[in-house]
Formats: sequence, structure tokens, C-alpha cells
Amino acid sequence: MTNVILPVVLPLLAAFLLQPLARLSGVVARLLGPLVLLVGLVLLLRLWFAPDTEPFTVALGGFAPPLGIVFYVDQLALIFAIAVPLFTLLFWNWSADAYEDSQEKARQDALMLLLAASATGLALSGDLFNIYVFYELMAVASFGLVVLRGTGPAQIATVRYLLLSAFGSVLALVGIAILYTQTGTLNLAQLGQLAPTSLHGPAGLAAFGFMLVGFGVKAELFPVNTWVPEVYATAPARIAGLLAGLVSKLAVLVVVRLLVVVYQDTAASQLLLVLGTLTILFGEFAAWRSKDFPRMIGFSSIGQLGIVFIGFSIPGPWGMLAGLAVALHHLLIKSALFGLANRWSGSLESLAGGARSAPIAAGLFVLFALSLIGVPPLPGFWTKILVLTGLAQEGSGLHLMALGAILLITAIEANYLFRFATKLFSTSDRPPASHGLMDIGAAVLIGIALVAVTIQIDPVGDRLRAVARQAADREAYISTVFPAEPTIAAREDRR
Amino acid sequence: MIDLNFVTVLYVGAIGLLVIGAVGLVMCNNVFRMVLALVLAEAGVNLLLILAGYRGDAAAPILGFGPEGAQMVDPVPQVLVLTAIVIGVGVQALAVAVLVRVFHAYGTLDMRELKAHFEFELAAEKTTEPPRSTEEPAGGRPLSPVPPRPHPGEARS
Repeated sequence: MTNVILPVVLPLLAAFLLQPLARLSGVVARLLGPLVLLVGLVLLLRLWFAPDTEPFTVALGGFAPPLGIVFYVDQLALIFAIAVPLFTLLFWNWSADAYEDSQEKARQDALMLLLAASATGLALSGDLFNIYVFYELMAVASFGLVVLRGTGPAQIATVRYLLLSAFGSVLALVGIAILYTQTGTLNLAQLGQLAPTSLHGPAGLAAFGFMLVGFGVKAELFPVNTWVPEVYATAPARIAGLLAGLVSKLAVLVVVRLLVVVYQDTAASQLLLVLGTLTILFGEFAAWRSKDFPRMIGFSSIGQLGIVFIGFSIPGPWGMLAGLAVALHHLLIKSALFGLANRWSGSLESLAGGARSAPIAAGLFVLFALSLIGVPPLPGFWTKILVLTGLAQEGSGLHLMALGAILLITAIEANYLFRFATKLFSTSDRPPASHGLMDIGAAVLIGIALVAVTIQIDPVGDRLRAVARQAADREAYISTVFPAEPTIAAREDRR
Repeated sequence: MIDLNFVTVLYVGAIGLLVIGAVGLVMCNNVFRMVLALVLAEAGVNLLLILAGYRGDAAAPILGFGPEGAQMVDPVPQVLVLTAIVIGVGVQALAVAVLVRVFHAYGTLDMRELKAHFEFELAAEKTTEPPRSTEEPAGGRPLSPVPPRPHPGEARS
């Protein structure tokens, strides 16, 4: 099963080969990126559809954990690992004439491949060392992609994003340092073994707080998400879609792994619950006030991630299922909305009459808006109802407060999304430009996927429930990384 | 009395560097100083990590170095710090490279002025009204009303 490493290694290799290759042959360089991503996607999909869904580990370089570094492959990791090449391909810059210079195109493709490689690695890592390195690599690739358009505001937004993100990394590193002084290991499974004894006190919780805020920069968590509207308003819409849809989910995945494997106590999940509640309130109120389309969906993305955090803060398989469902729903919807934002980048006023010039896009927007608000029978309804019932089952004051906050922001969401929809369908003498084929293509594909999930909600729900049960099982995580009798033969068999 | 031994002083220094860096990031208005504050904070956290694996009586973790059978300091934090230093240098270099381009475009490195330029140009691009309120949700903190002025590098945008 070592070929699970290939989806990480091949894009990395291709990213570094692209520039010299572009000097030799423009066509090969153009095809290399999509080809490599496609290979990775096929390899991961074969694992996902394999009959044996037991989690397994891959010891990198043949060094057994805890000394060696492991990839931990379970269904949860696979979902996000599959999403990486899939969405990178959806948002790939296919247009040949956008950059007349093939070097420029190769540079952008290389950054996209770096992002894909590090994101896949982040999804699969079972070791904080590796997680830190991949997280940083992902951050650097995203800085490059954001600044690529090269306008003045984009550069200012990048500087602010870069400073905040780098400081977030410092905080995460402080958290890792505290963990290491308390336990002497960075392997997640071993941390899980040692957590009940050595991470119970305030030092362990402080480490979680630092890491939560540090990794929360990419996950758009409340106090550290001021970069979100600025970057999404200035970056190319494709890149904003990738950051909002994909990159934020991978940062969330890191937090979830920490929470499930290492921090089983209630204090950590309460911290997540409070920050998540603040995040949705901040995001949705700001979205209600915003005046242009990219910033409106950017702020709404913050709000949705708040619900994701609230979902994951509910303990046990239920919370895992709720958080996972909201996260996947948001991954689909927000990617598609940013696909639409490519041509609808202007103010909300200037988009009046958009339904006349772009009827398909306007129809898709209404579909996505209905699902975001949670109108049955669209998947958004099921995701929200999962979170709400989970919160009601917990029933403590904080949980009920979060429940109230979600209901409140649903009303606000409905208000600003429908306000924009009515504007789209109003008449105007200067309707906005219609969409290009590639922009609308991604959104149409996602719209079809959404409708398909609506029809097939039962099988999808069953599969997600199985994934959540597996991912929430802490004992299984530890015993998979450290089998009770780690004989050489058994380990060879696993591979 | 507090036992002021060497390691304690180093711990205080590491946390002090972190605090100086964090305060600098919040308080400074010059973007280059913010980058320098970031460098200080990174130095602080690196020192903290090194201290996590430090033992006063142990040798460097190199085989054949130091007396036979002597204890070694923990190599894992040192490797992590090496990685963190390299990543930090890369990010700082990227930050300075973008800063150079920002300075060429706007002729200033003052964060408040840059923010005002940002809002003004974005509003012009999106054909909304330029923001007059100081409580726009986009920024974290309220900014002083700096009049947006035409910048020297008009041709770049």
C-alpha cells in the first residue's frame, strides 16, 4: 500500500520539474500538472473503493513509529485527500491565452502542484512534525498564488495575510513545543497514549489553545480571520475558491485529529465551541453588511466554518458526523460560489439584472443559496439538522447558546442571500457580463453533484456515518499505529 | 528566592522574545518593522523548542562525539528547529520581496496608509462608494481617516 505516498510525492516532483521543462517544451509542461493530479486521484479513488476499509499506516522510509514518521490512512483522511486533486483540477487554470508567456503559466502551475502535494500530505500525516512542515508548505504556496495577479491591492492583502499566517505558525509551534516538553513525542498516536497522564493539566490545554489559534488562521477561526475578506476580494476567484473550500478544510482536519486522538477532555471541545460560536456570529453579520459579491461569500464562508467547528466540538461519533457533513457541504458549495464570483466580482448593485445575461449562473446561485440556508430536501438541511440535534442532545448552557446562534444566523443568511437573489432577478439597463465556459463548468458540475446527493441522501449518509464512526474511534487510531504485537511479518503484510 | 540558573534565564528570554514579537506585530505601523517583530517571535519560539530538549550535562547528539556512553540531548527538537528556521527564512524573504513591490507601487510602508489605499482602490475596482465609515467590518481595528491620495506607481495598477 505504499502507493498512497505517490499522490504527495509526484506533484512535488512535478512542481520542481515544471520550470526547466517549460523551457524545453511548452505543451509537455502544460499537460504535466493535470496528468500528475489525475494519477494521484485515481490511486486514492482505488483505495476509497477498495472492499477493505480498515485504516492502515505507512511508515515513511521504513522506520517504525514513534521514531519514524507515519502516514495514517483512514476513510476520513481519504475523503479529504481525494478532494485535493479533485478540486485542484476543477480550479486549474485551463485557459491557454490567460498568460501569453509559458514560463508564467509554468510558475502558476508549479504553485498549484505544491499546494496539492502539501494539502494531500496534510490530510494523511499522523505526526505533528510532518503536519507542521506540510502546513507551512501549503501556506507558502497560497501566498504565491494570491499575489500572482500582481495588482496593488492584491499585494497589500498578501502582506497582511502573510504576516498573520506566519504569526499563526509561530503560535502553533509554541503549542507543539509545550506538547513536546510535556510528553517528549510528536507522534499523534503516542501523544494520545500519553495524554491522560501528561496532558491533563493547564499546560496541555494551553498547548491546544496555541495550536487551535495557530492552525485556525487557515481555518478562518474567529480572532485570526481578518485576512479572509481582503484576500478573497483581491485574489483570482479560482484561488479564493481553493482557499475557502479546500485549504480551510485541511486546517480543520488537523484540529479534529488533535481533538479526537489527543484531547478527549471537555475543556478543549468547549474552547472550540466558544470560538466557533463567535466565528459564526462575526462572519454572518459581516456578510450581511458587505457590499460586493466576493466579500459577501467570503464572510459567509467564515460563518459556515464556525458551524463546522461547532459540529466537531460535539463529542463522539455524532459530532464527527455533523462536523464532517457540514465541512463537505461547505467544500462543495463555497467552491462553486467562488466559481461564479469569477465574473461577478463587482459590487452587489452592479450585479442587478444578472439573471438576464447569465440565467444558468443565477439559477445555480439560488440552488446553492437554498442549500446554504438549509431548505429541505437539499443536503444543507441535513447537515444543519445534524448539528442542531447534536447540540440539543448535549444540552448544556454553552451548547444551547450555540444552537440559538445557529438559528439566528440562519435567518440572517436567508436575508442577505435572498436580497442578492432578488437583485439578480430584477431588471437593469446595464446587466453584468455573462460567464465563461470554464467558470460556469465547475459550478454546473458541483450543482449536479449536489442534486445527486439530494436524491441519494440515504446511501451517502450511511457511508458518512461509517466514516465518522471510524474517525471518532480513538482506541483504533492508537492500536493501528502501534499494533499490540508489532511483528515484522505482520507489518510486511500490512504493506 | 527564585533560583536564577542558566536554563531559567533562557526560558525567560525565549518567552520574552515571543512577547516582544507579538507586541511589535500589534503595535507597529511600519510593515517592515512588523516583519522584524515576526523574526523576533520566531527566534523566541526556536529557543523555546531547543530548551525543550536541552540537558545541561549531555553532549551534542552526534555519534562518536563526546565521551563514550555519555548522554545526548534530544535531537528531535533540534531537527524541528532547523526546519522551522529554514521555513522562517523563506517566508521572511517572500514577505520582504512583496514589500519591495508594495513600496514601489505606493511609496509608503505605513500600514494605515496602505489599508486606506487598499480600501480606496478596491472600492474603485468594484465601483462601490469609497468607504467613509471607520467601522467597516473588513478591518480588525478602526483606522484613522487617512485621505487616499494618488500614488506614484499609477501605471502598475
